[in-house]
Amino acid sequence: MNLRDITSLVWSNLNRMRGRVIMTALGVLIGTAAIVVLVSLASGIQANATESFSSIGALNQITVFSGAAFVDGGREAQEATLLTPRVLADIEDWDEVEAVTPRVSFFGQYTLKLNRLEGSTTLVGIDPRAADALDLEAIEGTNRLGRLSVVVGSAVAERFFDPRNPNFDPERELPDLFGQTLQMEMTRFSDETGEAESRTIRLRVIGVLEEVGGESDTTIFMSVSDMQELNTWATGNRPNPDRDGYTQAIVIVADAADTIEVENRVVDLGLFAFSATSILQQVNIFFVIIQAAFGGIGAISLIVAAIGIANTMIMSILERTREIGLMKAVGASNRDVLTVFISEAAAIGLIGGIGGIIAGIGVAEIIDFIGGQFIAAQATAQGGAADPVSLSVTPLWLPIFALIFSLFIGLLSGIYPALRAVQLNPVSALKYE
Amino acid sequence: MSGVFIEASGLKRHYTLGDQLVKALDGVDLQVKRGELLALMGPSGSGKSTLMNLLGGLDTPDDGEIKVDDKVVTSMDQNELAVYRQREVGFVFQSFNLIPTMTAQQNVEFPMIFSGVAPAKRRERASELLERVGLGDRMTHKPTELSGGQQQRVALARALVNQPSILLGDEPTGNLDSKTGVEILSMLREFNDAGQTIILVTHDPRLEEFAKRVVHMLDGKIVSEDTAAI
Repeated sequence: MNLRDITSLVWSNLNRMRGRVIMTALGVLIGTAAIVVLVSLASGIQANATESFSSIGALNQITVFSGAAFVDGGREAQEATLLTPRVLADIEDWDEVEAVTPRVSFFGQYTLKLNRLEGSTTLVGIDPRAADALDLEAIEGTNRLGRLSVVVGSAVAERFFDPRNPNFDPERELPDLFGQTLQMEMTRFSDETGEAESRTIRLRVIGVLEEVGGESDTTIFMSVSDMQELNTWATGNRPNPDRDGYTQAIVIVADAADTIEVENRVVDLGLFAFSATSILQQVNIFFVIIQAAFGGIGAISLIVAAIGIANTMIMSILERTREIGLMKAVGASNRDVLTVFISEAAAIGLIGGIGGIIAGIGVAEIIDFIGGQFIAAQATAQGGAADPVSLSVTPLWLPIFALIFSLFIGLLSGIYPALRAVQLNPVSALKYE
Repeated sequence: MSGVFIEASGLKRHYTLGDQLVKALDGVDLQVKRGELLALMGPSGSGKSTLMNLLGGLDTPDDGEIKVDDKVVTSMDQNELAVYRQREVGFVFQSFNLIPTMTAQQNVEFPMIFSGVAPAKRRERASELLERVGLGDRMTHKPTELSGGQQQRVALARALVNQPSILLGDEPTGNLDSKTGVEILSMLREFNDAGQTIILVTHDPRLEEFAKRVVHMLDGKIVSEDTAAI
């Protein structure tokens, strides 16, 4: 028997019990559709989560803390590794590492002033040589930080407002920061008297950064050495990184694929480290479990459908007992009989599977459309951005897997009925009424 | 045409029905030459159908041996038996056993699906045989659109389509009125005249006139034999 004969024989046999085949295939359709919809939803949630996580930081960046920062009690100084310039230089020498920079925050109070406007945001000191590696790309000006010059994120301008004008309209009056000089008014309190003392320094904006959709959009970057000086005034102590280490540093890995490995090596040095990549990895494990659980629920309905197929086939074999006897009498081998009946069952699985994939993708799209609109409406009502939300994402492997799985279920459920057909005694089968 | 073609010896086939042992065949010896037209006659339960099923490779004996063309049918396994039925045997049944969803043409082609004949060749061969049984104009009809006699002629064409060396008929006229019964018998006779070996199981007395050799059975044994002087 060749494939063409099997196909046409299976087709005419299924056609003859059309009603029952449709009912049975409907069971497979529902199961397959359930798998497609549920796994698509799980993938959609995962995609949304992944997107949120990537805003924590680029996937090739590792945030490193001094070991001491997290060690409690008195043991800290001896055991913990400090983020001294020497340690950072060692890490920078690793082949996989593109650049390393300390990340120093401002420890005092301050206000930024620009003409009548005031504002405050995150101030960060970095190694100017690491600006490119940190993907700080200037759309205006440059990212080459010099003395008392700063580079601002794309959304820093939005942090300014006019304290004397309650009707300040950010839409129209937001400043273009590029080329401006910001007045930074710092305040410190004397330890003994508690008296406030102010000092103002001027910071020149030499560059505005491209929008990246993360924390750095609202950050003002300056050189570490400037920041150390500001902190010296604000705290009254000159920081000594060689002795105390920096609080925080960023390791930039050349290839994001090496991030986890580099992160592990950093931890082995006795430092604390985390990266969006390693968090994402944990989260992905969780989502794979969710996908499997959702898929499993769908799979259960497919198993029920498989019993339906087996039932239909057993009925059909009872009705066609004489025909099976005839097949054997005209020289069909056991293998031929097995092939015909397993193929019929597999075809029911396949028909249901194809229908289920179409229905599943359709339902997923509808959920995506309705749910997406609902969420966007909710977000707008709460004043959030109405970004389009994808609730369900159907990965390419899913319909392929669903098709193979439904075919396999059909095949499997055909085995028992087909074996019954094979075992029929031709003499009594031919006499069967 | 001389020389033994089918040789059955010491055939026994017993089965239990409830708690009763039925000796369907109880030591049967039979020799058939190529080109014979043999009728196995006897009352119900005489073992004639059992004998035919054994000769056709549909059933296996509890004891004894069947040789066809020097091949021992009784020692074949399931697959070899399937090939034997496919190549050497054609069956005609009392109830025709046509597949109701297929046309006459497709029913005749059916056995060739399993013997691996190319589709074009199948169509050609099926049409040729349907012409020979006088159904050239009924090839696209389904069994329900055909009379009993026509259905049996389709079945006859189907039985002959793989050019079997033995044609076996189990009460081929049993479901037909006497006129169409005679039609089928004369058709069988024509094929026999062309050299086809035919063994028929029947209790239709008219067959005695058509058959060249009649074997009478009773209680699982061959009791007598007439050879027509034709």
